[in-house]
Amino acid sequence: MNQNEFLSAMEDVLQTEDTLSMDTILEDLVEWDSLSVMATMAFLDKNFGIKTTMSDYKTMKTIGDIAKKAGL
Amino acid sequence: MAISFFNHVKIAGFKTAIPERCINIDDEIEFFDNNPKKLARAKKIAGYGKRYVADKNTTVVDLAVDAASKLLQEMKVNSHEIDLLIFINQKPDYEAPCDASIAHGMLGLEKNCATLNLNLGCSGYVSGLWQAFSLLENGNLKKCLILAGDIPARDLDIKDRKRAPVFGDAASATLIEYTENPSPSTFVLGTDGKGWDKIIYPFNGRRIPLDNNLLNLKIETPSGYQWDYSQGILKGEDIFYFTMDVAPELIIQTLSQANWKKEDVDLYAIHQANKQIIENIIDKAQIPAEKTPSDVFSKYANNSTTSVVTVLCDQPKDKKFGKTLLCVFGIGLSWGGATLDLEGVYNGGIYTYISPKNKPTREELINYWIKCIKGE
Repeated sequence: MNQNEFLSAMEDVLQTEDTLSMDTILEDLVEWDSLSVMATMAFLDKNFGIKTTMSDYKTMKTIGDIAKKAGL
Repeated sequence: MAISFFNHVKIAGFKTAIPERCINIDDEIEFFDNNPKKLARAKKIAGYGKRYVADKNTTVVDLAVDAASKLLQEMKVNSHEIDLLIFINQKPDYEAPCDASIAHGMLGLEKNCATLNLNLGCSGYVSGLWQAFSLLENGNLKKCLILAGDIPARDLDIKDRKRAPVFGDAASATLIEYTENPSPSTFVLGTDGKGWDKIIYPFNGRRIPLDNNLLNLKIETPSGYQWDYSQGILKGEDIFYFTMDVAPELIIQTLSQANWKKEDVDLYAIHQANKQIIENIIDKAQIPAEKTPSDVFSKYANNSTTSVVTVLCDQPKDKKFGKTLLCVFGIGLSWGGATLDLEGVYNGGIYTYISPKNKPTREELINYWIKCIKGE
């Protein structure tokens, strides 16, 4: 999965109508809530075998931070 | 390894009772900042929909016994034919005795009918089936009733948005029979007892009995509702990964033990934890989504102990059942997988339990016991 594919996959994971970029601030997204965190955890586990914790998301600020976790 | 094979036991029929009161997530838009988009998103991601909630005078025993007597009637089985009753639930009607005894009495079963009670939640149904199949396999016992259920929704605070939209009340009855004709089944069970505290009701047992302090303990939670001793603790993140790790692997292992290919299976009945979890399991185990219902959660929510029976009973009445895989997981932590041939099974469906008008109220019951204690 390249960065563009990751962004479009995340748009689907978060069910957002916004176009995401690596700089998109998570807090600015209306959709960024506990449902989205769980959906993101599942997405990273399924596609990258990476197990994130709830507390990881407290330190992540942008979509790019999630991409970094995924190793992109 | 708890892997078992049986050849002479089958499920003959099942039926599910749900309470009358229905709560629809569409009527709860206030909890989504009155924003239709937020509501639609929660429905799409988590699958929130309808849930049925028992009234204060209705318990799991009421629902399960009603389902059982209707099932026996519809299948024309006499109660004196039942050799064994197994009750599976997490939260009993009374601290003691167990619900199996109470249900045995209410159903008017014979005195030579044995009873067992299993204290398990979402994983319990497969454990109960496994016990029934073990005890019936050699033909000494011919018929067993399994009553499974819980009322996880009845006492939840509607402001508890982590759990209120997730749980629904229901109970089921299943008739198990010894059969001369071969009917192969496979069971795979497991436990991770180190995870005993991941889903727990810590107070009001013998380890930490209730006192006035605990009785009055109210804790403000980040999600805005008050926690009291009757509410359990669910470590969401740990449970999430437990499910993601255990359930897909369990499906693969159970299929392999049964020597079934994925495409052989007509129906994958998976515990309806929530839509997202089921979809993740489908993806990870790579099983066909069209044979794996995840919409039962949206129709009835998570029915805990009996949720997998809700999936079976929700199938169309004229559906011909065949090769069926059950996959359940939950409190314990524990899990179970089973492959069953359900050809010819009777599906009694899902019906609404009507609470009798003359049912004693809480106050009447308390007065009754006070009189007992006073010797009146």
